Amino acid sequence: MREQSKRAEANRQAIAQTMQIDLTRQFRDKCAIVGVGHSRLGRVPGVSALDLQIEAIRNAIEDSGVRLSDIDGLLCRGPQDVYCHHQLVGARLGINARFSTSVDSGGASQALSVALAVMAIQAGMASTIVVGFGGDAWSSTHANEDARLANDTHGAKRPKEFGLEYGFTGAVAAHALGAQRHMDIYGTTREHFCEIALVCRENALRNPDAQMKKPFTRDDYFNARMVVAPFGLFDCSLRSDGAGAVIVSSAERARDLRQHPVLIKGFGSFNNTRGWFADDNMVHTAAARSGADAYRMAGLGPSDVDVAQIYDCFTYMVLTELEDYGFCKKGEGGDFVASGALRMGGALPCNTAGGLLSEGHVDGMLHICEAARQLRQTHAPARQVKDAEIALVSGHGGNQVCHASLILGRD
Amino acid sequence: MSEAPRRPLPSPPQESQAFWAAARGHRLSIQHCNACGQAWSPPSQLCTHCLSADSKWIDAAGRGTIFSFVVVHRVYHPWFANKVPYAVAVVELEEGPRLLTNITGVDPAALRCGMSVTVTFEDVSADLSIPKFTATPSA
Repeated sequence: MREQSKRAEANRQAIAQTMQIDLTRQFRDKCAIVGVGHSRLGRVPGVSALDLQIEAIRNAIEDSGVRLSDIDGLLCRGPQDVYCHHQLVGARLGINARFSTSVDSGGASQALSVALAVMAIQAGMASTIVVGFGGDAWSSTHANEDARLANDTHGAKRPKEFGLEYGFTGAVAAHALGAQRHMDIYGTTREHFCEIALVCRENALRNPDAQMKKPFTRDDYFNARMVVAPFGLFDCSLRSDGAGAVIVSSAERARDLRQHPVLIKGFGSFNNTRGWFADDNMVHTAAARSGADAYRMAGLGPSDVDVAQIYDCFTYMVLTELEDYGFCKKGEGGDFVASGALRMGGALPCNTAGGLLSEGHVDGMLHICEAARQLRQTHAPARQVKDAEIALVSGHGGNQVCHASLILGRD
Repeated sequence: MSEAPRRPLPSPPQESQAFWAAARGHRLSIQHCNACGQAWSPPSQLCTHCLSADSKWIDAAGRGTIFSFVVVHRVYHPWFANKVPYAVAVVELEEGPRLLTNITGVDPAALRCGMSVTVTFEDVSADLSIPKFTATPSA
């Protein structure tokens, strides 16, 4: 490590130590998720991403028992080409807001927004904040071939070089680079990826709202067409129309509301903004430092987590994130997964509503909703992780390098 | 009859034009920082290691190893319809920088991270050659 970065790291550690007591006192258990909601998921033709988001927010408000007029914060996100998306949400909800902005860190945005909501509430900038995402990825890519092509090759926004001239485009190929490297370094196999895909699908089959309704087998996984090797069809998450939303308020207020409060015990974020190709970020993701900060704030560690909602844009990402979150050592994710740990009844039930791989790709918003529902312990018995007290939620995105983590707990 | 799909080609921003001009002459050119002595890619005005503006273009040796690779089966862009499956890799040059590229002339099933590769140039037009990599012939 160079002198400069050594110094920066030492400073960071000193500040973190000094700040730690304050961080914990200011944020741990101070706020709660008081409402969750989602829209129709999957193929929802004829409804805009924005309207789907309003549908999800309405459901979250109804779930929580807060009044629309109580909401004074909006942290919202929609399709990438919408300018100041949060303003459109406010207009359709018919409300003004004290704290309102759009967040742009890809799939990390939603977990990061919950963290921002806590900060804003603790700073006195708002009291009741909606965090939402709505997308129309299925409809917008299935309208016609031009729409498909524009999406797959990023249209006018595509990188001007070092990309499509080599036939390299999109998230599948980028994440597949990480998967291949993990396989070559650690001996991880597609059998391990298959297990993750199967877990998500089996969980989705217990979730009546999930996009995917049909089971598949190990043979189906291996017989499916390759997309970008080492990823085949079932390694890739879905394209979905859909939206999700949660409502965050102070823990104190949460105790007077309709639902059992889900406390926000810790959060963290880290961004490997030097890039996916830099350092060894493809196999050592930003989840490691994001997670460490979240655990520290919560005063908890991996062995305390009862249920995990891990950002699963691709099967491989679940495996490497589990390592980075400390559920097993780096390189041992394959064995950990193969042990059956992720299944319902396993050591760490994971993506219990089906995840991006099988419930619906709503950019991680539904991971937060599902974590909260597990901690309320109100699911039907087949879907409920028994005695779930602590949940971990991860968000991963941007150009594979942004990460945010939440540790939630039953009050 | 529909027209043949047009090949997607780079449209280099200002800072990369020296890279592509060198490639046209079958030279793999990267930026080298006179202040900190490190090289970087993709091109940018200031050194990505120390933000110095004092840099020069150097010719890389054109040798490196595969940092990671993928084999693309899906046709994302119609020009590649008769090219799939093909290999895309991140190659780490001896000088340090990593480049996105294609690996040609190697059976995709034989590719491994860490494999030694050497630059080769595909002449696309009078104005454009694209650097790619192939297996380094064993000595």
